[in-house]
Amino acid sequence: MSSTPSSEAGSHLPEPSAPLAEYRARLHAWLDAQHEALAPRYEPPGTLDDHVAQMQRVKSLLHEGGWMQYGWPERVGGRGGSPMLRTELGAALAARDLADPGLFSLVEVLAPSLIDFASPELAAQAVPRLLSGEELWCQGFSEPDSGSDLASLRCRATPRGGDPATAREWVIRGQKVWTSLAQYSQRCVLLTRTGSAESRHRGITAFFVDMDTPGVTVRPIEMINGEQEFAEVFFDDAVVPADRMLGSPGGGWAVAMSILPYERSSCFWQRIAFLYGRLQRLVEVAPDDERAAETVGQAYLELFALRARSRATQHRLAATGTIGAETSIDKVLVATTEQTVFDAVRRLLPGTVELDDGAAGERWRNEYLYSRAATIYGGTGEVQRNIIARRLLGLGDEA
Amino acid sequence: MIEAEERAQMSEAVRGALAGAVANGDDVDATLAKLDWLEMLRDEPDDAIGIVFGALGRTNAAATALDDVLAAALGHEPRPDLAVLLPPFAAWAAPGRVAGGELRAEGLATARAAGAHEWWVVCETDAGPRATLVPAAAAEIRRVDGVDPGGGLHSVRIQADAPDLVPADWTAALGRGRRAVAHQIEGGCRTLLELARSHTLEREQFGGPIARFQAVRHKLAEALVATEALEAALDAARQDPGPETAALAKAVAGRSQRTVARHAQQVLAGIGFTIEHALHRYLKRTMALEGLLGSADAIALDVGRRLLAERRVPTLIEL
Repeated sequence: MSSTPSSEAGSHLPEPSAPLAEYRARLHAWLDAQHEALAPRYEPPGTLDDHVAQMQRVKSLLHEGGWMQYGWPERVGGRGGSPMLRTELGAALAARDLADPGLFSLVEVLAPSLIDFASPELAAQAVPRLLSGEELWCQGFSEPDSGSDLASLRCRATPRGGDPATAREWVIRGQKVWTSLAQYSQRCVLLTRTGSAESRHRGITAFFVDMDTPGVTVRPIEMINGEQEFAEVFFDDAVVPADRMLGSPGGGWAVAMSILPYERSSCFWQRIAFLYGRLQRLVEVAPDDERAAETVGQAYLELFALRARSRATQHRLAATGTIGAETSIDKVLVATTEQTVFDAVRRLLPGTVELDDGAAGERWRNEYLYSRAATIYGGTGEVQRNIIARRLLGLGDEA
Repeated sequence: MIEAEERAQMSEAVRGALAGAVANGDDVDATLAKLDWLEMLRDEPDDAIGIVFGALGRTNAAATALDDVLAAALGHEPRPDLAVLLPPFAAWAAPGRVAGGELRAEGLATARAAGAHEWWVVCETDAGPRATLVPAAAAEIRRVDGVDPGGGLHSVRIQADAPDLVPADWTAALGRGRRAVAHQIEGGCRTLLELARSHTLEREQFGGPIARFQAVRHKLAEALVATEALEAALDAARQDPGPETAALAKAVAGRSQRTVARHAQQVLAGIGFTIEHALHRYLKRTMALEGLLGSADAIALDVGRRLLAERRVPTLIEL
């Protein structure tokens, strides 16, 4: 595991403390120079297998080049610097169509769980494997009966011997669902129930589980767009060592909540870069008429406001170290804007999403159908509006 | 640029002064003069515009400060007897035309129209935008009551002989003016939302405040999302000033205004449909402002045409 980039790779690398604009310029210069090496190897539009392989190959090249390490702490093999450096990297890849932003930005919601809650040894050992593309990880949060109401989760972890303080192993039994890339993953950041059934968020404990542990079974689920991006994961008395616990017994809710700032900042910025890229593609092929101008113009307005909002959020996070309920506004904006962009595609390229079996049509169809989930995953639009009403508008309790 | 904390304090002070002027029926322009508006505009134009126009929107105070913003952006010393001709409703092209040595212009103006001694009129010419100073006598003005009689808008027709034309940066003036109007709309949206919010907490039906109902809560949530999106767009237009960001901020203002007005009016229901509640004043003011220096739909169409013509989608702002 390289914890620092090799010296031959280092000459073109900016200091982690360099101004963001300088980092961005150097990064893009490097990406230009490496264009051939980074370009996808598959025939478009490619399968999920292709996209995952491409992402891991790109991560590996970025890691060798020293770029993947920016914005991560040195104690897990990073180069340090602001997390915004990671955001720039992910956005650059999305804008250049080098890696699927939804898949690539999973790093943002996985690595921090280890960095903040694993033992220093475990974090130092595990995180570089994720960053270098050697491994993929997944996030086992949702369950069949725990979607929006995550605190009701029931996948049970029991200390072997009965005493959580002295147990050397925990036994896991239960089921997860909507686990993205589970079938490709070597590890899982898993939330389990360790308190009473009614303990809600107080009785949850997080573990870092090897996916090849006996008793772990993955069943991919085919999505509406034909891909198998997520899966059900079954735990039938899977045994996990106690030193794989993230945080303390009963401290799993904090692990789940700690990723929110990254999900709502860096991941969104990458998504926004992707949406600009797709609107760019649309204006390249759309008819040049009034209806198209109106549709494209309205989508562009929404994208601008979203990008402005997201930028302010990232700078607030960088300045204060924290962001909270106000990011439900970012979530509503990113979800509705994604749907606006792909609604525009359907409107301006009639028959493409519905009938085109060519590579471009398949991609638009896939993305259009995926965009319908934007108001569902990561907290539904309704849950976000509930949070806005209660926390930001102070409207008190619901009837 | 003024620090965020100081800006917040100044916003509060200006808002308080304008609210007082509205309550007492004082002249709002005189109140702004006492707050050293023109000095603020000269020293820190971006902050001055945000603070003053945001406060005008919040309090529904009617002023003629837009003339000062445009005059200053055109490179002329603003003064209370100097008006600047605005384009017609929903449009933004320079309002004047010159043919055969004669100037003809049609457009809108603030309440300053009534007392102005001179007008700056920007004309579209083959050589680019040119401005000319015409005497008040050349302007035929008519007060427009329309949807918002308190807003002070006038319709103006100007005809003058052989104008003395000087180069004019209409693009810069338009950008500044658009941001000013968008800030005013943002202030109006904030008050519309607050009026709706407090109503839902006070109004009781079915045994409790109507704010308990998710259908009502989600409308207010939508209104807040729209208002925050507008504020973000305005912040971006201040941090990355340019004709594009100003145009987009103005267009976002129009979109947000529609969303906020629709939801606020719906939850205010019967009382909001009367003039006994304050809603109507903010609703009508923001409706009129939506058309100043380009409406949301017209700007979106224009922007979309350009994206399609160039086949390029610029991101405009970076992290």
